[in-house]
Amino acid sequence: MKQNESGIGGAQLNRRGFLQASGGLVVAFSLFNATEIAVAEPAAGRSVASPPAGKLYAWLAVHPDNTATLFTGKVETGNGVLTALAQIAAEELDLPIDRLDVVMGTTSQTVDQGPSYGSMTVRYAGPQIRQAAAAGRQVLIDLAAKHFGVSSNQLVAREGTITILGSSDRSITYGKLVDGKRLDVDIGASGERFAMKVAPEARTKDPSTYTVVGKSVKRKDIPGKVTGEFTYVQDVKVDGMLHGRVVRPYGVESRLLSVDENGLKDIPGFVQVVRRENFLGVVAETEWGAIQAAEKLGSTLNPSGPDDGQAKWSNWNGLSPMDQIWDTLRQTAGINRSVASTGSVDIALASQSGGQVLKATYKTPFQMHGSIGPSCAIADVKSDRATLWSGTQMPHETRGDIAKILGIPLDDVELRWFEASGGYGRNGLDHSVADAAIMSQEVGRPVRVQWMRWDEHGWEPKGPPIVQDLLGIVDKDGNAIAWRHHMWVPTITDTHLIAPALIGKPDVTGITGTGATPVIRYVYTFDNTDVAVHDEGRVGLLTAWLRSPAQFETTFAMESFIDEMAVAAGQDPLAFRLAHIDDPRAIAVLKAAAEKYGWVSRPAGGKKLQGAGKPVQGRGIAWVNRDDVRVATIADVTVDPASGQIKVGRVVVAHDCGLVVNPDGLRNQVEGNVIQSLSRTLHEEVTFDRAHVTSRDWEGYPILRFSDIPDSIDVVLVNNTPQYPSYGAGEPATNPTAAVISNAVFDAVGVRLRQTPFRPERVKAAMG
Amino acid sequence: MPQNTTLNINGKDQAVSVEPDSMLIYALRNNLGLHGPRFGCGLGECGACTVVIDGEAIRSCITPVSTIGTSKITTLEGLGTVDNPHPLQKAFIQEQAAQCGYCINGMIMAAKALLDHTPHPSRDDIKEALDGNLCRCGTHMRIVRAIERAASQAE
Repeated sequence: MKQNESGIGGAQLNRRGFLQASGGLVVAFSLFNATEIAVAEPAAGRSVASPPAGKLYAWLAVHPDNTATLFTGKVETGNGVLTALAQIAAEELDLPIDRLDVVMGTTSQTVDQGPSYGSMTVRYAGPQIRQAAAAGRQVLIDLAAKHFGVSSNQLVAREGTITILGSSDRSITYGKLVDGKRLDVDIGASGERFAMKVAPEARTKDPSTYTVVGKSVKRKDIPGKVTGEFTYVQDVKVDGMLHGRVVRPYGVESRLLSVDENGLKDIPGFVQVVRRENFLGVVAETEWGAIQAAEKLGSTLNPSGPDDGQAKWSNWNGLSPMDQIWDTLRQTAGINRSVASTGSVDIALASQSGGQVLKATYKTPFQMHGSIGPSCAIADVKSDRATLWSGTQMPHETRGDIAKILGIPLDDVELRWFEASGGYGRNGLDHSVADAAIMSQEVGRPVRVQWMRWDEHGWEPKGPPIVQDLLGIVDKDGNAIAWRHHMWVPTITDTHLIAPALIGKPDVTGITGTGATPVIRYVYTFDNTDVAVHDEGRVGLLTAWLRSPAQFETTFAMESFIDEMAVAAGQDPLAFRLAHIDDPRAIAVLKAAAEKYGWVSRPAGGKKLQGAGKPVQGRGIAWVNRDDVRVATIADVTVDPASGQIKVGRVVVAHDCGLVVNPDGLRNQVEGNVIQSLSRTLHEEVTFDRAHVTSRDWEGYPILRFSDIPDSIDVVLVNNTPQYPSYGAGEPATNPTAAVISNAVFDAVGVRLRQTPFRPERVKAAMG
Repeated sequence: MPQNTTLNINGKDQAVSVEPDSMLIYALRNNLGLHGPRFGCGLGECGACTVVIDGEAIRSCITPVSTIGTSKITTLEGLGTVDNPHPLQKAFIQEQAAQCGYCINGMIMAAKALLDHTPHPSRDDIKEALDGNLCRCGTHMRIVRAIERAASQAE
């Protein structure tokens, strides 16, 4: 590792000056106290290019007050990764974590480490940051060696101070050593994004010596969030900013026929209508003015038709009838892919006699991310450059997308990242940036666009509906001998943006499907297996990744049908699974969950109802291997036969994501995954007519409320040792839930629920 | 047209110039820079915008400014700060009862109104008081625990 000729030199800057010079932001960048947002114009000619990954300053700044800043292209979406990444960096840096701030996502200040999705932040960015921080520590030691005129191995770094071994009076802080300079040191980097290797020569600590990683450090963002001092993207104000609202087409592909602007000028603060092809928006000096103007044009909760407002749309009715969506998607063009194939299910079918052949179809609906805060972004577009403010989970990609839409070179576009309301996948956030950019380009001033609730519910990309056919054979001796699982999964990776499509440039950015995303991990060991996916097609509404993309649904089918097989074989559902798995980590989580729960072996369910109307209890189990994380979940339910209502009692989750960075943060994530997936299991289905989504608010798309929460959620951590890397825990615990509840309901009342959501009327209908 | 109005917020009279039929949330957020109340739905369905008005938890997104009069408004900022948090805010920090945190304003303000009326609520009381507040991250268990913690420390 060598220092440049300029050493760590350059202009002497205090911390505030450093941030101004590097980001153009006059922002108090304290995580604990993000306060005034006053944004200066970028200095003329100032580069907004991302820093080079091979430089230490791309990752780390040390300030004169002996605090430091970690820079990362990853972003917080509510999962706690800010604190987890800070723990990893603080560990290697030997700096108290409360002296380390984190700057996330802003493209001019951070390296593109790939989007923050797929439970991949700690897993992939963690090692990159660990290496960079270790390199930083080595640089600081080398500086101290030079300072004291001793060799590096005579020095010890602790809590931001370097001391000569054996002479505790001879020490110097990191802040004094760096003396306000930029850390212009080559640390080396190769590869890109998730695969990037940073500072490959830096020596990291032995995990057995960790004192910060593995501790339940309190999250840095929570004090600001519970006091109103935190700055979300919705809170950012830019000088001269106008407020914008979109007016979306009535039908998904309706054309804009005419706009009657009568009366708009009477709205206080109204500025203008923005119309390009089928893109329609309004801007006003005040947010209330923009809302009033948009309402006049037709942006309301329940428009009665394509000519309900002063904007007239063509009558488009191209969506599939809602109750036929699963038939439609079976016929959708796409790619057929074999996931697992052993023996021959067909031969097993032809040759078996006296056994049981089970067949079932599982259906799941469109579901939505349902962020509590609607998507919001600000854009300031000039003729030759653009500045964007966004809470996207993929700031570097979105910057590139907007550059393409605007026709501005990438190096003249900056995206400044601020956290948004939780997204759980690709929601409307990126789309709102494109809306703001188009409106700002049109009006020549910064424009803040916030979607209305019906824009978010109606137009956020949805998790796709999925249909799955399963077949299993249990021979006459009770042995499971064959398994077939065919699934039809519309694309979970459509990244086309809405606004460019509306202005007539649908393909300027975005892809539909990459074929690379696994929607299932088949894990059983039956002699004859045929698991295949038909995926990457489009089905009416824009679809994109929603927490644990498609695997929530495929796990529902796989783990419920395994239960059906166990019932046919007359076996305990846990024992049946264990008999057909050879993955030791899977076996470990299943056993850990069973032990914590106190599982007593017996075949599942079909209990006779004891007296009319009396609530009945049942238990269910299911597990998943989600991208190398193993999760087993057990839950108790009570089913009320009179109402069909399912009440969830105790939930036990055994979770193996390898080495845990922050145990309490992980528990928070597991609890969140369980509750959100319970909501999706019990309540959630996007409704639509032939023209558009009709679930346009929380009445139309109910989610779980406090009255539905489980009695308890116990979390058992498995394989939390340095023997394993940290695999990432943002979403795996979502996967087993629907199967667990389906299995528990079968155990309770003997009916098999194969279509989500399990609303009371559906449960009651199933019970006959 | 905008009119000058005085609102009593967090114990102080504050002058704002807004349209009388506009909703309180925009005056709080845009005119006064109070970001505790958050826009979620604009329909009174999710609770993210909750403020306490004369002791009651109220949805500021569907409350016109003209209806406030001399009522006393308390926002999240009126409870405490990072340096000096209110017992409820402290309890939320101790229980780590937030993920994205966007709904938490509503949870704390609804809890404030509850505890002012019912200092020692049962778990069912808490769930009932918060049933109209939506949380999408699934932080419910911790939110309930935080309110129980705050209540247990009340006089």
